[in-house]
Amino acid sequence: MTSAFSWIAADETAEQALVRIYKKRPFLIFPPPFHRLPLRAGNVVEIVGPSPSAKTLILIQAAINCILPKEWKGVSYGGLERAVLFIDLDCRFDVSSISRALQRRIIDANGLRRSSLKGNGNEYDKELFVSSMRRFLYTRCYNSFEFLATLKTLHHRIQQEKGGSAVYMLLIDSIGAFYWMDRALPTSSTGNNNNRKSLSLQTVVETVVQEIQRLLVAHPMLVLATKSAAFGDKQSITEVIRKRPDEKMPDPRDAQNKPHRCFMPSVWQSFVSHRMLLRALDGESKHQNRPTFSTEWLLPPLNCSDHFTVNDVWICSVRIASIFFIANLIVSSFAAGLSLDPQMKCRRKCSAVTKR
Amino acid sequence: MAPLEDLERDYPIIDSNFRMFCASHGIFTDTDFLLHDLSALEAFARQDYAPDKLEQGIKQMISIIESGQRPWLNGVELLEDSQLNKCTLSTGCEGIDILLQGGLREGHVTELVGPSCSGKTQICLKSASHVARNSLGKVVYFDTGNSFSPKRVAQFLSLLSDPSATQTNKAVERDMSSIVCHSVFDIFTLLDMLRQLMNNLRSQISFQVRMLIIDSLSSLIAPVLGGGGAHGHALMATAGFLLKEIAHESNLCVVVTNHMVAGEAGMLKPALGESWKSIPHVRLLLSGKYSATGTRITILKHPYLVCPSQKKLLMSILQYWHPLRMKASGKSADFVVL
Repeated sequence: MTSAFSWIAADETAEQALVRIYKKRPFLIFPPPFHRLPLRAGNVVEIVGPSPSAKTLILIQAAINCILPKEWKGVSYGGLERAVLFIDLDCRFDVSSISRALQRRIIDANGLRRSSLKGNGNEYDKELFVSSMRRFLYTRCYNSFEFLATLKTLHHRIQQEKGGSAVYMLLIDSIGAFYWMDRALPTSSTGNNNNRKSLSLQTVVETVVQEIQRLLVAHPMLVLATKSAAFGDKQSITEVIRKRPDEKMPDPRDAQNKPHRCFMPSVWQSFVSHRMLLRALDGESKHQNRPTFSTEWLLPPLNCSDHFTVNDVWICSVRIASIFFIANLIVSSFAAGLSLDPQMKCRRKCSAVTKR
Repeated sequence: MAPLEDLERDYPIIDSNFRMFCASHGIFTDTDFLLHDLSALEAFARQDYAPDKLEQGIKQMISIIESGQRPWLNGVELLEDSQLNKCTLSTGCEGIDILLQGGLREGHVTELVGPSCSGKTQICLKSASHVARNSLGKVVYFDTGNSFSPKRVAQFLSLLSDPSATQTNKAVERDMSSIVCHSVFDIFTLLDMLRQLMNNLRSQISFQVRMLIIDSLSSLIAPVLGGGGAHGHALMATAGFLLKEIAHESNLCVVVTNHMVAGEAGMLKPALGESWKSIPHVRLLLSGKYSATGTRITILKHPYLVCPSQKKLLMSILQYWHPLRMKASGKSADFVVL
């Protein structure tokens, strides 16, 4: 009898499992705009928004939080000191965007901001900068096959990286980049061939999801993927515009609350564990001509949204005052009508809801 | 989409036996291989009667895939590449150069969007002549609407040079020869020519091209968009990725123009709209006000300069008589970007 039951014998109790999992894949609270939900390795976070809505910027900020050390020469930077993999599918990444933001972050953390604006503007810890930048790994893909090949060989690549610091984040910008190209893939001429996979958007995305899933088992990472919200919604966009003249007071919140429609195949949709929606706010809440955006968690659904502005520092050049872009996201204000209490509630709720 | 047979010459491990095994799992080409679950395939290989050879074959395939891949670069290497290879090219228009902190950047795809007569073509011609004048390299100009005007370029060039007459003509001639203009009238020809250009740039090192201008790209793409099918959008995305690949891999500065059409309620909107937005690095909106004050240029998108929709700049514009334009549009004067 005992041998018959041995297969059902417990390996560990739920408590032990929890302790093990929390140790291996601890929950972390990331700086804004991710501060509402605890995230951990294995989560797949999708950042949805129209263009432009600072999606790539948020990825870059997340990358910086990851590659900076926690402390360096007595100054606290609050980073994780882990490597980041950035897969650029949009092929629009410019290294200046991360290097400038990183420099600014280092300068800010040292409290040199005021003095640097007066005198020598580029005083920052070069050693820290270089060692952090080395943790940022980048590749780009021009089509789905390159992307698949990258994912297939990523396992080896990460193992190489193990020597230094283990990879903690996988950033994909943006997941829907090849949507149209894949949709128009020629249907396989040998389609009647019994078990040959036909090339299509569906099979490509299935394989992508499968490869990332496999990768996450071997290397627990936090996956952040951006997705442009524009395509596929043609109908809903025209609907909104058509309705506008009839409605007396078109409530902007009402129009914005239209359910978000995902254009990616359901394989990807069900793979995503967290989804954040970004919107550009124009008009009312502009802070000193800075573009303002709002974030909202769609998955798990949180009934609150944050606003943030893209902060920039004015530096006067010789001829014209021009705005230099220093990427700093500032959560400026919480949405109106939210007292502290419901926020606490929703936080408690989401920690219960969070899966994986 | 190379059939596996083609690989046997270089890699003897991919023999007929291995191909038979692959074919039984529906793998005939290397792209089939990419779509397949490799660890499942390895598990099947282990059950076969010659597991070692099959597993070796799979390993070989993986390393073939790996070798064809772009390497991972770290941030420091990226910075070095951008400092060494990606310069900014001045457009010759002081206002735009200040706005973009130095000019158009190599490796970027810059889009000029604006209504008709807002100066898109003028900026293209101006920056082409500026690159040619400074002997920076060749300019490839794809003209889709017969709007390339050699006279205008010559004008720009002679304005740039010093007035000693005999030398000017020679210099203008020399500089004109470094602007290569092709007429392109449909998207398929454009894709062909872009691929050809990419191959040329890859193989010939002496073929120094610094700038690629397509004026206007939207007039090629807009006709194939629309309808229910995905093919129009796919062609657009293909063209976009080709441009980005050329720009990045060969360190070219790519400029394309996008015209405007009437949208809802008579508002002007770009001909290439929502799904095009994710393609260019930099988008500049030219709001053409036909007045003496000039053209207003707005940065809609930039990878690191901020203020989408905020920064506006009045270009200094001088009135200048331009015979070609006058004939075409019946207007008495043309504004020249200076």
